[in-house]
Amino acid sequence: MSDPRYDAIVIGAGANGLTTAHYLARAGKRVVVVEQHETPDPSADIGWVPDVVIRDLGLTGAGLRIETPDPWITAPLPAGGTLELARDIGKSVEAIRRISPADAAKWPDFCQRMRTLASVLERLYLVPPPDIESTDVRELARIAGLGLYVRRRGKQTVIDLARILPMSIAELLDDWFESDVLKGMLGALGVWHLKQGPRSGGTAFNFLHHHAGCTAGVFRPTRSNVTQALSKVSGVEIRRGARATVLAKNGKATGVVLEKSGETIQAPLVVSSAPPRSTLLPLAIELYPDFARAVSNIRARGVVARGTLTLEQAPQYSTFCIAPSLDYLERAYDDAKYGKDSSSPYIEVQRTDGRLEVQVQYVASGGTDLSSTVARLLNVQPSQLALRAATESLYHGELTLDQILFMRPVPGWSRYRTPIEGLYLCGSGTHPGGGIPGAAGRNAAREIL
Amino acid sequence: MKQYDAIVIGGGHNGLVTAAYLARAGKSVLVLERRSRVGGAAVTEEIFPGFKFSMFSYVVSLLRPEIIRDLDLPRHGLHILPLESTVTPMENGDYLAAWADHDETRRELYRHSPRDAEAYDEYGRLMHFMAQAVKPILGMVPPDPTSFALGDLAGLLKLGKHFRGLGAERLHALVKLMTMSSADFLDEWFETDVLKATKSASGIIGTFLGPRSPGTAYVLLHHYMGELDGVFRAWGFAKGGTGAVSEAIASAARSFGAEIRCNAGVSKVLVKGGKATGVVLENGDELAARTVVSSLDPRRTFLQLLETSDLPSEFVQDIKRFKFRGSSGKVNIALAGLPTFTCMPDSAGGRLHRGAVSISPSLDYVERAYDDAKYGEFSRRPYMDIVFPSMIDPGMAPPGKHVMSIFVQYAPYHLNGGWTDAKREAFGDAVVNTVESFAPGFKSLILHRQVITPLDIEKITGLSEGNIFAGELALHQLFFLRPAPGWAKFATPVRGYYQAGSGTHPGGGIMGASGRLAAMRILKDGR
Repeated sequence: MSDPRYDAIVIGAGANGLTTAHYLARAGKRVVVVEQHETPDPSADIGWVPDVVIRDLGLTGAGLRIETPDPWITAPLPAGGTLELARDIGKSVEAIRRISPADAAKWPDFCQRMRTLASVLERLYLVPPPDIESTDVRELARIAGLGLYVRRRGKQTVIDLARILPMSIAELLDDWFESDVLKGMLGALGVWHLKQGPRSGGTAFNFLHHHAGCTAGVFRPTRSNVTQALSKVSGVEIRRGARATVLAKNGKATGVVLEKSGETIQAPLVVSSAPPRSTLLPLAIELYPDFARAVSNIRARGVVARGTLTLEQAPQYSTFCIAPSLDYLERAYDDAKYGKDSSSPYIEVQRTDGRLEVQVQYVASGGTDLSSTVARLLNVQPSQLALRAATESLYHGELTLDQILFMRPVPGWSRYRTPIEGLYLCGSGTHPGGGIPGAAGRNAAREIL
Repeated sequence: MKQYDAIVIGGGHNGLVTAAYLARAGKSVLVLERRSRVGGAAVTEEIFPGFKFSMFSYVVSLLRPEIIRDLDLPRHGLHILPLESTVTPMENGDYLAAWADHDETRRELYRHSPRDAEAYDEYGRLMHFMAQAVKPILGMVPPDPTSFALGDLAGLLKLGKHFRGLGAERLHALVKLMTMSSADFLDEWFETDVLKATKSASGIIGTFLGPRSPGTAYVLLHHYMGELDGVFRAWGFAKGGTGAVSEAIASAARSFGAEIRCNAGVSKVLVKGGKATGVVLENGDELAARTVVSSLDPRRTFLQLLETSDLPSEFVQDIKRFKFRGSSGKVNIALAGLPTFTCMPDSAGGRLHRGAVSISPSLDYVERAYDDAKYGEFSRRPYMDIVFPSMIDPGMAPPGKHVMSIFVQYAPYHLNGGWTDAKREAFGDAVVNTVESFAPGFKSLILHRQVITPLDIEKITGLSEGNIFAGELALHQLFFLRPAPGWAKFATPVRGYYQAGSGTHPGGGIMGASGRLAAMRILKDGR
C-alpha cells in the first residue's frame, strides 16, 4: 500500500541524488527528493560532469557553468616567485623550464600518457562496474568488450594500467620528474581526500581518477555549479530540511520517515545518495550478517577540513597550492597516521564565483590550532578563515584499489542494489565514486530502470 | 674449447635448481659461482670459531615440494626442523604467543580478546585457502595480457577460469589481499593491536613499506604459502642452516652430472649477432655455451653482464626502473647463554627460545620503524624477528653456548650520508639496545656480533641494493611485470640468454620456483 503520490523517493539533493531523480522522472516516475539541509551548500561541485549527463538533463539551459581557470594552478617557489601552470601545454613547458629544463622536456609526453589512461577510466565510469562473477553471456561479452577497448588503445596502455594503477604517486612522479615543487603539486592530487601518503600504493590510481574529464595537462578536478543547475531543472519535487530514514518491512523498502516531523512518505522504490553506512546500518541488516560486516568495514575516514578564506582584495590566482614536495606531503600524512592534525598540512585555496574555498589535509580533529597553522602558512589572520573538519570522507568511501569497481561500495553489491528489495544506492559511495558528480547517479538510475 | 649445453651464472639456490633440472634432462651444465661456496644468500658460515650461522636467509618454508621430490633432496641431506612458536613481547611486560598446539594458541588469544580468538580460526582457514588458490600461479609461466598470441590468450583464459572457480567471496578476499595494506586487512578481522602488529610484520618483510602501506597484504599472503605443516606460520630450519639447502641442491645437480665451479665470477656474457655464445670470467677466461642462464638479479643480469647496445632501449628503461630498495639488515650473535625476556621469565620451559621472538609490540611501533627509514635513517627501534637456531639444531654452537639470528627492519640501503663502519655499529647498537629493553641482561651474554647492512648484503651476495627478494615484491613488479613487461617468461631479448633468479616470477624466499620454471622453459625451447 504505497503512497499514491510517488513512485520513488530519492534521499539527498546532491549532484548524484538529483541526477538519479531526474533520470527516473524522465522515465515517467513520480519522484520526490528529500534533503536534510534547509539551504543548498554554496560550495562548488568538484569533478568531471560527464557530457552525457549534461546533454540528457539539459543542464546547459539550467545555467550550468563549468570553470576553466587559466592558469589552473599557482604554487610558491622556495626561492620566491611562483610556478604557474597553464591549460596550454606549451605555456606550461615554458613555466617549468624556468625551474627544470629536464622536467619541461618531459611535460608534454607525461600529459599525453596520463590523458590516455584517464580516458580508459572515463569509459569504465559511465557504465556499471564489470561483474566478474557473472556467468551471463551478455555480461561476459561486455567485459570482453571493455578489455578489447583497452587493448585497442595500444600495448603500452595495457602495461601502463597494470603498472601504474597499483603504484604510489611518488614512484610514478619520481620516474618522470626531478623538481620538488612540480612533484608536490601533482602528488597532492594523488592523495586528494585520501588517508594515504604519496608513498602509499594506489595513490597513482587516485591521481588518474581525478584527472578523468580534464583536458590534457590539467591536473585538478573541474569545478562547476552542477548541483545548482540540477536543482533548477524541473520535473522533480525537492523537500529540504527533511532528514530521512529508510523504512523496510519483510525485506522490502516501503518508504522513508522524516526525522523532525515524523511524517512518513511511502513508495516502493527508495534510492539513497547518502553514505552507504548511514543508509544501511539503521535498517535491520543484521539479518544479512556478511553484508553488514562488509558495510561496517567500508573505510571512509575524513582527513580534510574545508571552509572559506576572506580577503580584502580578490587574489591573482585561481588555485593556490601549498604542497612544496612529496616529502612535505608524506610528513603531513605521518601526523595523521598517529591521529594528529598535520603540523604542516597540504593547503589549497580555490577561487570560485568570488568565493575563496580552502581545503586542508590531513586533519584528524581540527582543533583550534588548525586555523592558526593554516593562517600562518597562508600569511593571513586566523579570523579570516572559517574551517570545518569532516569526520567522514567526502566520498563516502576512500578511493583505494580495494574499494573501487566491483568492490564498491561493498564486494558483490556493486550494482547499486542492496539486500533490501526496492532500496538502491546512488551516491559517491558507489561506483565510480566521488569527484565525478552525476556519474554514479546516472549509472544507478539506468540500473534501476 | 669445450662448449657446454648451458652455463648457469650464479650458484644461489635458483641457479642450482636450474642446473639440476637441466643436468637431469641430460644437458652438460656448468655453474659459475663468484664466491668460494655455493648458496648465494642461502649459506651457512662459521663466522666465529665454533658458531655457525645462516648468514642471510635463515628460515625455510617456501621451497617448492615438487623440487624436493624431483631432485630427491632428502637423499642429498635436506632435513627440515620445524619452528613451532612465535612469542611477541609487549611494552607493558605482557606477551602474545602462538604455539604449535592450536588449542593452546586459542586459549592464549582468548586471554587478549575472546572476539579475536573466535575470528582467528576463520581467518586461518581463509588465508590457508587463499594460499592454496594462489599456489598454482607460482608454478605457472605468467601469460602476457598485451599479447594476442594463442598461448597467451589461452593462459589468460585459464587464469580467469581459475579465479572464477574460487567463488565470489574468496575472489573478493583475493582482490583485497592484492590491494590493501596489511593493517587495514587485519583491522577487518581483529581488534588486538599486538596480534595485528605481529601478523602485519610478515607483510613488510623485504619491502620498503610500512604495515599501513597498501600492497603489504599481498606479502602477508606470500608468506602464508609455506608447505610445512603448522598452524601459526609454517616455517622451519634446515638442519645445518640454510646453507644445507643449497648444498643439497648442489649435490643433486652434481649427481645428475652438472659441474659446479666456485671462485669463478663472470664479468660479461658474450653476445654475437644477437645471440649469447658464452661468458667471460673475471680472470679473463672465456667459456662457450649454447645457452647462458643468469640467476643474478635483473639489474646485474642485464645492465652489468650485457652491453646496453645488446638490448632494446625500452627494455633497458624498464630494467632501470625495476625497484630494489633493500630495507633489511641482519645481526648474528654468538651467546654465552640464553637471554631471559621480561615477559616470560621462566621462558615457558625453554619453549620461547625454540620458536621465534617477534619484536612487534604494536602497529604504531612497526609503522614508526618505517617512518625512520622513509626519510633515510635506520629504525631507532626496529622490527625484529629473532630465532635461536642452536636450540633446535645443537650443532650450530659449542655446547652450552648459542647462536642468535636477528632479522632487522628497517635499514635502508640509501642511508642519509651513506653507510660507514660507524653507522653499521650504531645500527647494531640500536638493535642490541632494543632487544635489551625486552630482555635485560642480554648484552652481558654477547660473545661476538656480526652486523650486516643492506650494503653488506650487496657486497657479499651481489644482490642489488641488498634487496633480499632480488627486486621488491610490489604489485607492479609481479607476475607478467616481473622483471619487465613482455619479458616475464624467463627468456630475454638476447637469444640463448635466459634469466632464472628471484627477480623473475614468482620470486622471493628460498622457493626455487623461478629456477625450475626457467629450466622448463629452456628445455621447452629445445636448447
